Amino acid sequence: MDNTLYVGLSRQLTLQRALDITANNLANVDTVGFKVEALTLQADPLKPASVSSTDPITYVIDNGVARNFGQGGVEQTSNPLDVAIEGEGFFTVQTPDGNRYTRDGRFGINTQNQLVDRQGNLVLSAGGSAITLDPQKTDLAIAKDGTISQNGQTVARLGVARFADLSVLTKQGSNLYDAPGVTPSAATNVHVSQGAVERSNVQPIAEMTNLIAITRAYDQVTQMVSQTQDLSDSAVQRLGKAA
Amino acid sequence: MRALSTAATGMAAQELNVETISNNIANMNTIGFKRQVAEFQDLLYQNVERMGSQTSDAGTVVPTGIQVGSGVKTGSIYSVREQGSLTQTGNQLDLAVNGRGLFEILLPDGETAYTRAGNFSVDNTGTICTSDGYAVQPKTTIPENATQVTISSTGQVQATIPGQTAPQVVGQLQLATFFNEAGLEATGGNLLLQSNASGAPVVGKPGDPGYGTIQQGYTEASNVDAVTEITNLITAQRAYEMNSKVVTAADQMLSTTTQMKS
Repeated sequence: MDNTLYVGLSRQLTLQRALDITANNLANVDTVGFKVEALTLQADPLKPASVSSTDPITYVIDNGVARNFGQGGVEQTSNPLDVAIEGEGFFTVQTPDGNRYTRDGRFGINTQNQLVDRQGNLVLSAGGSAITLDPQKTDLAIAKDGTISQNGQTVARLGVARFADLSVLTKQGSNLYDAPGVTPSAATNVHVSQGAVERSNVQPIAEMTNLIAITRAYDQVTQMVSQTQDLSDSAVQRLGKAA
Repeated sequence: MRALSTAATGMAAQELNVETISNNIANMNTIGFKRQVAEFQDLLYQNVERMGSQTSDAGTVVPTGIQVGSGVKTGSIYSVREQGSLTQTGNQLDLAVNGRGLFEILLPDGETAYTRAGNFSVDNTGTICTSDGYAVQPKTTIPENATQVTISSTGQVQATIPGQTAPQVVGQLQLATFFNEAGLEATGGNLLLQSNASGAPVVGKPGDPGYGTIQQGYTEASNVDAVTEITNLITAQRAYEMNSKVVTAADQMLSTTTQMKS
């Protein structure tokens, strides 16, 4: 009988974690380049607890966090240094800890006239080097394939990395992804838009319904646990009377 | 339960968003004002189960892992350096820059500030100055008996003196450009200061390649678009509400837990 409590507990733990992830999705509803996440669960069948029973006890455990890399909405900002990727691929930035990847294309210029992200990390070109711009030339254009040109002269091409398996990516915070031990290939069919940013792909309505589902499921499990307790109580009382 | 604090970061971020929007709306009619946008980034992630970690002696690994995020932070408040529309005022010392460049202003402490607000006047010595009385650089003095001041699109200041047929050249205005204009530090009073992020100013004549031209008798309106700001405000408010719902849900779950029979 006690198994009911433990099965209930396993569900409550996964629900709490699911709520944490939904909370993070909703907190990042306005974060450029953010990709929505969901907790995936799996059944965890164990041997029956008592000798008389043959049915296995099935707990639920969290299996992983699935990330939806679907395209977020592209919003026009008319800032020449805002770049959005439409379709697959990541910008590559150089951090003190190595190369990191991001969908956040809000770039700026540092004091050495190099193209940097909002943290000041260098944005790398297709050849893997820093991109230096000429401050005297004002007309900056970024073509669909990522080619940066100033006053009609080509400066560099933005590096867009592609991962065959997106599940190798881990989130680092600050809109950056790490790919430990994996070298990405260069994306071939690059489509970038200048003067636009990619919004978060969180769908608020979906997250709100998740939120309701999580709280209701939690209530139900709690209800089940307390009913089991009642059952246990009354069993003890009745058996006690008979004796 | 982490959801409570995660939702709190979301609410704080949206609060800042609303503050930025309200500042934009408040400055809708400020000459030369550039609208600002709050930008967000996700916070650190906790690796509950690291991906790629081994799950058996046979070498099987966790394919996706469990990373739980801890909310959102403000990356920066970015000022959008888009051209504002030019408004005709008819005042001969109202100057607007059409294109890139900022006027240089000498502050009383000797520092140089930069501004797009060209609603200038003359002080008691005839020097062209801002409405606060700070001189526009390079210093230009209008003769006391001048009947008319003409400022060309390339920034040449000419004064018409009674009794003289040809107008007299009394000065030449300059503009400063920055590679990263958005990196300038705002100090209030429509003034901006050079910062590490903005880079050094490159001074040139209006109308030169890379510099805007001067429009006399015009001021540059703020580039705040009321409709965009109001839509942003609605979005921010809704996002705030959604995050507060998460707080409610987390609270409800916690209260359910505490009411469980023991």
